[in-house]
Amino acid sequence: MNPRRIATVVRRHIYVLRRSPHRFFDLTVWPLLDVLLFGSLGAYVAQQGGTKAGAPYLLAGILMFHVLYQIQIAICTGFMEETWSRNLLNVMTTPVTEGEYIAGVGVFGLAKLVVAMVVLALIAFGFFGFDLTSVGWGLIPVAALLMVSGWAIGLTVIGLMLRYGQSAEILAWGINFLVMALSGVFNPVESIPAILQPLSRVLPTTHAFNALRDMLDGKPLPLGEIAIGLVSAIACAGAAMWFATRMLRTFRRRGFVTRFS
Amino acid sequence: MTARALEKRFGDVRAVNGVDVTVAPGERVGFLGPNGAGKTTTLLMLLGAITPDRGTIEICGHRLPRGRSKAMEKVGFAAGYLPLPERLRVREALGIFAGWYGVSDERGAVDAALERFAVPHLADRLCNELSSGQRTLVGIAKAILHRPKLLVLDEPTASLDPDVAQRVRAGLLDVCATDGTALLVTSHDMREVEILAERVVFLAHGRVVADDTPAGIAASFGHDDLEGVFLSLAGSAQEEI
Repeated sequence: MNPRRIATVVRRHIYVLRRSPHRFFDLTVWPLLDVLLFGSLGAYVAQQGGTKAGAPYLLAGILMFHVLYQIQIAICTGFMEETWSRNLLNVMTTPVTEGEYIAGVGVFGLAKLVVAMVVLALIAFGFFGFDLTSVGWGLIPVAALLMVSGWAIGLTVIGLMLRYGQSAEILAWGINFLVMALSGVFNPVESIPAILQPLSRVLPTTHAFNALRDMLDGKPLPLGEIAIGLVSAIACAGAAMWFATRMLRTFRRRGFVTRFS
Repeated sequence: MTARALEKRFGDVRAVNGVDVTVAPGERVGFLGPNGAGKTTTLLMLLGAITPDRGTIEICGHRLPRGRSKAMEKVGFAAGYLPLPERLRVREALGIFAGWYGVSDERGAVDAALERFAVPHLADRLCNELSSGQRTLVGIAKAILHRPKLLVLDEPTASLDPDVAQRVRAGLLDVCATDGTALLVTSHDMREVEILAERVVFLAHGRVVADDTPAGIAASFGHDDLEGVFLSLAGSAQEEI
């Protein structure tokens, strides 16, 4: 891993972001819409006499879901930028390794995540008086699980794009909502249809959101949930790396680079 | 660069069938053949973008695929069909590539490369606003930023005006003479190849059918120049189709 090459990948994407105002949609408008939608829904349910499904649960859920979303989208759009501008062959014929490129978009994704989380937290506080930091330090391991999960999903989607071309791009956005539904972002696993619950329980994101809800209930950080989530996240990340590497090998073996140039 | 017994098959199509290519330090080699002969597939294998089914590739002592990153530090690549990154100014785009190639003085290298092809005025233009000729010149400037030992060019002057193509050829000859850079170039312009290349590797049906000086190849096929050789090989390829 060459730090300068990684830093150059970050610089490349900063240039693109600076000249592409529409790219700020993911960082500003989408978070604003999500907070407004779920915050208002939570407020309405609370007004109707709901308790657990109040605004804090929905807001905390959507805010932390954005950790996963922003990280995953940053990795996928980082790769897609090279396909959209037909620059993939240019990159592949430089000394940059696949690991350095992914590390670069990963670092860039972290920076985007910080911006998005500040936007989300300010909107949630401004509109609904919800302070995410009130959850405490326990947010850090929850966020870490979601970040690793985001990287794993991102790598998987890149693997699919390498194999199936740009038609697989739809998954970059769509797959998040599948994970959202299965992970119980706003609701416990028990409320998910029984047939899907085993699948939910193996997802690291499910344990991250379970831990989040426990802390919102005033309980201490559930270390058991975090430990299971960590094992699952490491397994998912390992599987995603294996898959992406295998797809890259197929991509090179079958000459798919010509699809993008 | 030494490539031995390269083979590549895509489904039922044998695109490259036992190709040997060598380029000595400072040597200028033309890589020719009719459409579908396997030129671009071979080039992409030499650059590590496509994995050969069989054969070995070694560049400046680095064996591909394991040594791809190290090898690419010594190689520059440009193709007439390849765009530059969108939404970046020329200076920014070239600076990014200079960073990836590990150039210590990015700004100096970018200025020198643009100067070499007489396009310093393009430095602050957006890459996606360049004409095809300007894009080609900047693409070649990108390929020489790090003073590579080997410059690989795929159809560098395709669709260029004659005066721009001439400027490209003059710039390339200057790079090779001044920096001792070796050149491996494909082109459909046989006169261009006669100017640029000291040696020509002719490819047909995925095989090397001739490897000699331009004059030597023309003579061995009973023609006056490479154009005649190309037309007869292209004709036989067409008959097979």
